[in-house]
Amino acid sequence: MADLVNVVTVGILLGGIYALVSVGLNLIFGVIRIVNFAQGEFVMLGMYGAYAGYAFLRLDPYVSLLVLLPLFFLFGAVVQRLLLAPLRNEPSMQIFATFGLLMLIENVVLALTRGTAYSVPSPVSQAGIGLFGIQVGVVRLIALAAATAAAVGLGLFLRNTMPGRAIRAVAQDRAAATLMGVDVERIYMITFGIGTALAGLAGCLLAPIYSLSPQIGTSFILPAFAVVVLGGLGSVLGAYVGGFVVGLTEALAGYYLDPALKYAVIFGVFVLVLIVRPSGLFGKVGAEEVGLRDQS
Amino acid sequence: MTSPDLAAAAAPRDAVPRRSAASRVKTFAGELPLALLVLGLVAGLIWALSGDSFALNILATTLLFAGLAGAWNIIGGFGGQFSLAHSVFFAVGAYTTANLYLKLGISPWLGIWAAAALSAAVAALVSWPVFRLRGPFFAIATMAFTEVALAIGNYAESLTGGTRGMSIPFRLGIQNMIFRDRLSYALLMFGFMALSLLVVVAVNRSRLGYYLQAVRDNEQAARAAGIGVLRVKLTGMAISAALTGIGGGLFFMQVRVADPAAMLSLFEFGVKFALIALIGGLGTIYGPLLGALVIIPLENWLRAEIGGTLPGANLIVLSLFLIGAALFMKHGIVGVGRAIAARVRRPRP
Repeated sequence: MADLVNVVTVGILLGGIYALVSVGLNLIFGVIRIVNFAQGEFVMLGMYGAYAGYAFLRLDPYVSLLVLLPLFFLFGAVVQRLLLAPLRNEPSMQIFATFGLLMLIENVVLALTRGTAYSVPSPVSQAGIGLFGIQVGVVRLIALAAATAAAVGLGLFLRNTMPGRAIRAVAQDRAAATLMGVDVERIYMITFGIGTALAGLAGCLLAPIYSLSPQIGTSFILPAFAVVVLGGLGSVLGAYVGGFVVGLTEALAGYYLDPALKYAVIFGVFVLVLIVRPSGLFGKVGAEEVGLRDQS
Repeated sequence: MTSPDLAAAAAPRDAVPRRSAASRVKTFAGELPLALLVLGLVAGLIWALSGDSFALNILATTLLFAGLAGAWNIIGGFGGQFSLAHSVFFAVGAYTTANLYLKLGISPWLGIWAAAALSAAVAALVSWPVFRLRGPFFAIATMAFTEVALAIGNYAESLTGGTRGMSIPFRLGIQNMIFRDRLSYALLMFGFMALSLLVVVAVNRSRLGYYLQAVRDNEQAARAAGIGVLRVKLTGMAISAALTGIGGGLFFMQVRVADPAAMLSLFEFGVKFALIALIGGLGTIYGPLLGALVIIPLENWLRAEIGGTLPGANLIVLSLFLIGAALFMKHGIVGVGRAIAARVRRPRP
């Protein structure tokens, strides 16, 4: 029983991390209808950003955030404008482009760091709290809290502000939104910027937890894709809940089966969801196809 | 996305009389002379380089990847199904060939056909559920499948040697497909490339090829026209995976040592097949060969020149190629060639 509680706790904390990574990915997907293969690399860049802040300015990762988030927003907007805007309605070319971006970022970081692994210390990185007799790392709790705050904050932003409404309008019907005077291109840049900033946020918060390597992005992107498909494409709530489902699945499979097979189990769940309910837990039926239909 | 073939066929229609070659249905026999000419040119290239073992080595890799990219192009280019799982079929073929040879003493010349069958079976089995998804989602699912295969590959030590890898002892002899001279490997890979090219021509000029292109261009319209979409995709995938499995077997017999992480590398195999096809021309018959002739020597050169000082530099250049081609050269080298040819044939009024 104590084992189970322990495993579930680990799963929930891991789920928080996956939720944090997936929310931005799903926002980009839901609005722009682009599957961003490079999202994991944005997370990795966030981690290295936190490291740079620590190495050059002695900043705590939680302080670096204040500088990094606006930078990531701008970076995302630029990527959308220069790389993705010209590829509207060309799904295969979008895959090539975002996958090329994935390869580019990973290998540029590899070339710059020459493959040395770094870690980012934070005053709280070693601290733990006893909860129900289980030691829980404070940094993981912060990541969980941040994932919750980001999901709630994003939900409120989309529901209650003017830009948020514009984003939802574009997501629902691009042509109609254009006719209502929404600058769709600008909304896309804002959305991609927000999605990228969320990835940067995830990177900063995860920097004290993981040892940094250029390849770490890939280990986030696959669970994040599973989360997105599971939770429902384009749904913020779905990404949040899906994060926990995938995190728990991974923790349980890792403990009761074999850690080496956890990806196989996640993929099994993934395929099962695709067969039973392709639109995910919270997605609109048919959403998995809309991304490919011409929208103009 | 319109098919480059259709675009090319439509362009000169009003300029030439009705019964032009472009408006007739293209057949296997009609394409054969050109395919044989191209194969003859490549054979001439091997002959010209036959004294230079360094160049032959690169040429062997180039021809292997030309064949593999051609195989990917069947489902990825003609069928429009962006598979990232081809490194899995590649690895299945490699380990099938190697295990049959090491454990049962079956010659790789026979083993590669078993590899083709098993790769095709794995591909059909995995694609069945995943073909519900389209475009990017299909790509994601196949990418996840690569990761699963890696986990299984590392786990199944008896079949793959686990993370320590697996090696094939050097036992010279044609029956073992192990040679000392580079020319034999170049000829072996030439044989594979020729097989792949002929299969591609046969598929492309058959009912299946037209079905695949119809499914790519508009799946709903294809279904409405009475095409069994799933069956067409599965058949295309199986043929593509069978060729990829053969390529995997040949690759393993050439390098003779590999671990699952290397065999299932997305950058080295899965994505590179797609990249080569894109650079050459997606959904064209000769594009993958042209792409491989550009990319593989370039990559070898980059790895030799700057790979030592900057790790990953060759992949940085490849990724820039990938992004650049997606933005500015969607129809690859073949597309550029066609555009130039169209301009020469009909100068601006």
